[in-house]
Amino acid sequence: MIGSAPGAPAVVRPARPRLPAAPLLAPALGVALALVPVAAPGNITVLNLGFFTFLYVAQGLAWNILGGFAGYVSFGYAAFFGLGAYTTALLWLGGWTPVLTFPVGGLVAAVFSLIVGVPTLRLVGPYFSIATIGVGEAMRILMLNLDRITGGASGLNLPTAVPSKAWFYTAALLMAAVAYAAATWIRGSRFGLGLAALRMDLEAAETLGVRTALFKNVAHMISAFLVGVCGGLFATYFQYLHPDTVFSFTESISLVLIALIGGLGTIWGPILGAAVFYAVQDYLQTSYPTFHLLAYGILLIVILLFEPRGLAGLAARIWGHYRPGAPPIAAAPAAPGAFGPPAVPVPGETGSHVPAPDGPGPVPGSTA
Amino acid sequence: MTTPPLRLAHVTKRFGGLVAVDDVTVSIEPGQITGLIGPNGAGKTTLFGVISGRLAPTDGRVAAFGRDVTGWSPHAICRLGVCVTHQIVRPFADLSVLENVMVGAAFGGGGRVDARAARAEGMAVLEFAGLAPRAGQPASVLTLAQRKRLEIARALATRPSVLLLDEVLAGLTPTEVAQAVALVRAICARGTTVVMIEHVMHAVMNLSHRVLVLNYGRLIADGTPDEVTRDPQVIEAYLGAGAEAGGAHD
Repeated sequence: MIGSAPGAPAVVRPARPRLPAAPLLAPALGVALALVPVAAPGNITVLNLGFFTFLYVAQGLAWNILGGFAGYVSFGYAAFFGLGAYTTALLWLGGWTPVLTFPVGGLVAAVFSLIVGVPTLRLVGPYFSIATIGVGEAMRILMLNLDRITGGASGLNLPTAVPSKAWFYTAALLMAAVAYAAATWIRGSRFGLGLAALRMDLEAAETLGVRTALFKNVAHMISAFLVGVCGGLFATYFQYLHPDTVFSFTESISLVLIALIGGLGTIWGPILGAAVFYAVQDYLQTSYPTFHLLAYGILLIVILLFEPRGLAGLAARIWGHYRPGAPPIAAAPAAPGAFGPPAVPVPGETGSHVPAPDGPGPVPGSTA
Repeated sequence: MTTPPLRLAHVTKRFGGLVAVDDVTVSIEPGQITGLIGPNGAGKTTLFGVISGRLAPTDGRVAAFGRDVTGWSPHAICRLGVCVTHQIVRPFADLSVLENVMVGAAFGGGGRVDARAARAEGMAVLEFAGLAPRAGQPASVLTLAQRKRLEIARALATRPSVLLLDEVLAGLTPTEVAQAVALVRAICARGTTVVMIEHVMHAVMNLSHRVLVLNYGRLIADGTPDEVTRDPQVIEAYLGAGAEAGGAHD
């Protein structure tokens, strides 16, 4: 469908850049990764690496539903992660089986996202982002001070009877798969079309019948739910929670970085972004505890300057370049619409119009 | 007597001290093309904003198909069957031409339409609007005339009973104007009521069954194109000492 026969008129072809064979690639990758614990059940390093990477993949994909698809760049997702983590922790201490608490944590996060989303999602662009920083930080400070519930600054110790590393590896992989399925479904659905429309022009989307306020909040809740469940999984793994860990601004900003490095609004972006992000963090944090932030900064600048579509855009570009019979990259229209209709149909993979590097916030409507 | 698709009763819109629309009362007849003209800054686009729900009127009521829609949000008014196009075209630049139209088809007055059905319907609308060959291209590569066509096609895809066109002819070459005029005629022939703001006089006089003239927010004339062009108030508004046609943009 995507790779249509050469010479066929590109009539119904979507203009957005897409990676080739994505529908098959991801399940194949998922199955291959699922076999790792079977092949190497005792390799703790690999299993831990997988656990953290998949957890970031799941969260990156989830964040991207609001941040990428709808264009609302939130710096407050630690609140959802932390709420999920603490919900699991408290219910676990209350006698629940940890696995059963995950959806509850997700629901708590989703409800909270609705409470903060209704007022903040009325803001557009950077104003929304700034508001979410406030929400995230307020939650962290609140949780630090609710020491009767959260253990406050001394943290919360959890039961130590936990499943094996292989179990965590598989659970996180499953979580990533669920987030992937959700993101893929949304992208191809009517809901996703509405999110894309409101991202590009809130007012135009509204005049075409899109219930923009509802859609933004539903997207926010779906992504908050997924991140909340990830928080629960994290709490079970660590068996110790501290508000400064799970509600940290670093956690919030990690998700933004993952999506930006990988490619905002794409499916593969957060997957690639999370892999790179965790690899950099894992390697640098152990040797140079603060240096990794500098590395992310440099990485971010390089990406925004040279490939604003992130690693996914880069991959699509490389694939387009080496595909047999593909038009050269330079064929992408550099100045769209300047001098009348182009003589040749524009290939889908080289759509030139990319979201603005600093987040494709909806254009604020004229007020007069 | 049938209910008019649109009825405005004493609609007033003030921005601070500025009265953009001043006590406008009018009923739009079904199946007609109604031209809305007036000098720049006369309040035409503001009036569209009030009808489409983008702006809340300071005073007065707006009724569509007999229902009071004053204060409704734009998406609800669109779903009821009143769709507005934008004076400054606003295509979803990253989406393809077809996907732009699919947004209208999926969310407009046709009820819940899934992405697959919206695609088929979008293609049909693009055929009608003469944009089918461009369906797969990003909207950002279109020319101005094509973008205006896309703006109309996207609105048409919402299956409006009333289509509000805001200066869809502005900036087009004479050939493109002729094509766009034919498109507006075809839309009306399908049974859609059209209200159009227009500055291209020969086109609007040619197309419209009825012309409304706004000046300083007030409705100063209402009649057939012939009646309106002979109206002394209209002549004064356009040529008189106070208002110069071709002045500052609104």
